[in-house]
Amino acid sequence: MMNERLPIAEIWVYLSGSPLFALILTLATYQLGYTLYVKANRNPIVNPVAISVLLATFCIYVIDMPYQKYFEGAQFVHFLLGTATVALAVPIYRGCNSLKGKLVPMTLALLIGSAVSIGSAVGIASMLGAGDNIVGSMYAKSVTAPIAMGIAERIHVSPTLTAVFTVATGMLGAILAPFIMNFLRIKPWWIRGTAIGVGAHGLGITRAFSVNEEAGTYASMAMGLNGVLSAVLLPVVVNYLRS
Amino acid sequence: MINGLVQLLIWQGLGELVSILLWPNIPGPVLGLLFLLAFLLVKGEVNQPLGMVADSFRLHLGLLFVPASVGVILFLPDLKTHALAVTAALLISVMLTIATTALVLKFFAKRAHDE
Repeated sequence: MMNERLPIAEIWVYLSGSPLFALILTLATYQLGYTLYVKANRNPIVNPVAISVLLATFCIYVIDMPYQKYFEGAQFVHFLLGTATVALAVPIYRGCNSLKGKLVPMTLALLIGSAVSIGSAVGIASMLGAGDNIVGSMYAKSVTAPIAMGIAERIHVSPTLTAVFTVATGMLGAILAPFIMNFLRIKPWWIRGTAIGVGAHGLGITRAFSVNEEAGTYASMAMGLNGVLSAVLLPVVVNYLRS
Repeated sequence: MINGLVQLLIWQGLGELVSILLWPNIPGPVLGLLFLLAFLLVKGEVNQPLGMVADSFRLHLGLLFVPASVGVILFLPDLKTHALAVTAALLISVMLTIATTALVLKFFAKRAHDE
């Protein structure tokens, strides 16, 4: 045998050059995170996305893979964000039946809620001296991630930071929402659901569904409506503020 | 399953097309969402393959933003410098958002109840 030692370095060169490595890294870390999440009784602290991001980031840091290289492979997963956004029409449609008579209060609550979300986040971040990059990425953080990133591209801020802030917001919201509601003595499930859908988008919905079906439906609808309204209004508002 | 995915991709494509040609301010997928919603409202039902794919997307929505979030590696120094600002902004903002939304709805619900 001329070459009895398998040239591991060559295999590595091949693997890291193909999209396969980034895909495996993305999906396997998420799978691990999801398994842990289910094992922990879907406790929002054990967030599969956060686990996956931490592990994947750590891996590409350790093997010194440039992010651009990683993304070349992982973009196949990233692409599906748009498709997932379109799919949000289904939960919104399913919630429409229970919406009757509540459309006006819900729209108003969404508008005021997102205004508070943007105003407080952007205000606090800039007051404490965060740079333009960070402040800009606070605009869309309460919108569900796929839409938030679409908005980020439209208002020329970093989609990456927006995604990171969005995930963090979802986690915080899902953890804190029950305490806030109990503190404010808010009992109706539809109100609790809507508020968590506006404040904590996707992760909030998962949380809401695990507690109460009605809360989950309203959370899905609130998240969808909030995303659509923000996508329409945010670019206009941001352009106005910047001019 | 493929059937549902094809439906979604077609709506997404239509949304992208309208976004590029007519309404560049709104992301294509959001327009696709609106078109699909209008279609569902007219049809009056969600067909089974579409419902199945939509449900699995909802369940694992988080997976799809892993690739972008890993980009946080590019911003680590920036985030470290402004750790306090970022944490305070995210934490306070999420509490205010949830509280305000709930209180506005409570106000309306109470008013509707009193009338």
